[in-house]
Amino acid sequence: MEYLSYLVATGISTGALYALVALGIVVIYKATQVVNFAHGEMFMLGGFFAYTFHVMLDWPYLPSFALAVALAFGVGIAVDRVAFRPLMQRQTLVSVLLVMIGLSFVLKGVARWLWGGKGDYLTFPPLISPEPLSFAGIMVMSQQLVVLGAACAVMVAFALFFKLTRAGRFMQATADNPKAAKLVGLRTDRVYMYTFGVGSAVAAAAAVLMAPLTLLYPDIGFMLFIKAFAAAVLGGLTSIPGAVVGGFLIGIIEQLAAGYLHTAMQEVAAFIVIMIVMIFIPTGLFGLGRMRKV
Amino acid sequence: MQVLVGKRAFLTALFVFLFVIPWIANEYHTFVANLILLYVILSLGLNLLIGFAGQLALANAAMYGIGAYGTGLLMKHFGLPFWISAPGGVAIAVISGTLLALPALRLSGIYLALATLAFAQFTFWLMTHWTPVTFGAGGFIPPPIDFSPLPITQETGIYYLSWGAALVLYVFAKHAMESPIGRAFVAIRDGEVAAQALGIDLLKYKSLAFALSGFYAGVAGALYSGMLGFVGPESFDLLQMVLHKAAVVLGGMGSVIGSLIGGVLLTVLVELTKEFKFSIEVAFGGLLIVFVLFQPNGVIVFVRRLLPGWNERLHYVPPGKETEEDFGAVPETDPEAPAEPDDPAEVPATQPRGGGPV
Repeated sequence: MEYLSYLVATGISTGALYALVALGIVVIYKATQVVNFAHGEMFMLGGFFAYTFHVMLDWPYLPSFALAVALAFGVGIAVDRVAFRPLMQRQTLVSVLLVMIGLSFVLKGVARWLWGGKGDYLTFPPLISPEPLSFAGIMVMSQQLVVLGAACAVMVAFALFFKLTRAGRFMQATADNPKAAKLVGLRTDRVYMYTFGVGSAVAAAAAVLMAPLTLLYPDIGFMLFIKAFAAAVLGGLTSIPGAVVGGFLIGIIEQLAAGYLHTAMQEVAAFIVIMIVMIFIPTGLFGLGRMRKV
Repeated sequence: MQVLVGKRAFLTALFVFLFVIPWIANEYHTFVANLILLYVILSLGLNLLIGFAGQLALANAAMYGIGAYGTGLLMKHFGLPFWISAPGGVAIAVISGTLLALPALRLSGIYLALATLAFAQFTFWLMTHWTPVTFGAGGFIPPPIDFSPLPITQETGIYYLSWGAALVLYVFAKHAMESPIGRAFVAIRDGEVAAQALGIDLLKYKSLAFALSGFYAGVAGALYSGMLGFVGPESFDLLQMVLHKAAVVLGGMGSVIGSLIGGVLLTVLVELTKEFKFSIEVAFGGLLIVFVLFQPNGVIVFVRRLLPGWNERLHYVPPGKETEEDFGAVPETDPEAPAEPDDPAEVPATQPRGGGPV
């Protein structure tokens, strides 16, 4: 029982981060009908930006966090400019995906060149003392609690941004009906651009939160992307609450698979979930219940 | 001029040149030439799936790996000769490829891409972690291949097998894509509903497209295991997937001869990138971006512009880009169907929905 609760607690804290990355995927997908293949690289770059400021330049954590998120917002906009905007009108989905795949490899290669090669793992100092806490009989790392709290705060901020701000409402309107949004005078091009930016910023926030718990390396982005995509698709790919629930579920599923089946199962649980969900319930748990057929 | 650089003359020259390479070139260049032959096979197979049938699947590198692992492991575990284990490995690749067609019947576009990506990563994970069978992350050395009674080494034997396979598979792809099969693929790519309305059986043709690309990748994989004398998971990772995509896009989506050119160019570029120690990820990711953005139909477009004799019956024309020049040298009975965006809502009103005459 203690083991189970430990696994679930760990699953929830990593799941919160998957949920954050999945949020970005869902927001971008809802607005543009495209899954940003380079989304994992936004996560990876966010982590490396924070590493640069916090470790290499010795800045405090919070300013590094803010600046990394801001920079990732910029990179997200660049993704829109390079991969999405030029292809959105004239080309097929295949082209957009191919460009995004290309972009994700370019970013990965650049990161490898800037921050170290294959097999170089950068460590990020812990935020607070790594003492484990006993909480109602469950052992948790205090670090994990901080990360979980911060991740939930980011999610709430994100939800409020969508509900309350003008920009958030523009994004919702464009996602719901791009033609109508254009008709009432929204500059949908710009909305798409900021959507990519916001999605990337959330991914970067997840990375900066996760960095003290793990190691940073250029290939981390793809791993996170697949897990977050599993979360998003489990939640239906168009549902923001679905992405959050999916994130927590994936986090718990992979911990249970690792704890009870085999440690190597942790890596592969997400792939299996993706395949099962896609084949048997393509609309996910919170999907719209219909898929575009034509 | 026309005769000298005609398609047939070019192909003959290319294959004759590749045939004599083991006699005139050193070991390294022969190895590169062998890689060229494998990449030609790989990009042909992938182009059938992506360029013709329009199914964006990301599992080609996994099929390649399954072919290589299947062949190597049958030799290693059961002591079977190459002549039996290679077809065995190819058969496993074809079966897994065909199974991938099942999700493709329900999913399209992004969903299909990611489902196949998950499958590819799962395969990669199996190669790395199923140690009792696959020998884990370190890979394994398959037993040497005996070409006796022929008086040739393993390298030469595999080289000529690859040469023959590339030639046969090229000719097969060309004829298959000019036949009703190719037209059915193109019809599915241009509009599934329209294709069904024309009586094209989606189950049959999608499975066929996946099976064919699995077959091509499996053959390349089987030959790869013999050529390298070593099989390890890192040869079949995500980077490999990007290289295959780059070969297809570089040569030209939906062009059989384009894939041939793409395979050759890609291998040469990969070797040059290694030579100059430039990041392969940046080079080929960048190449993919530049080509999709600025020349989505690959280098074959430049060739066609110069040499009308290089036009193919079913070559891909992007929406809104049909020009006189593209149709100039094509006979009137040509079944060319202008491609259209995935989303029918984006089709201009003047264009009939669901694709042109097929």
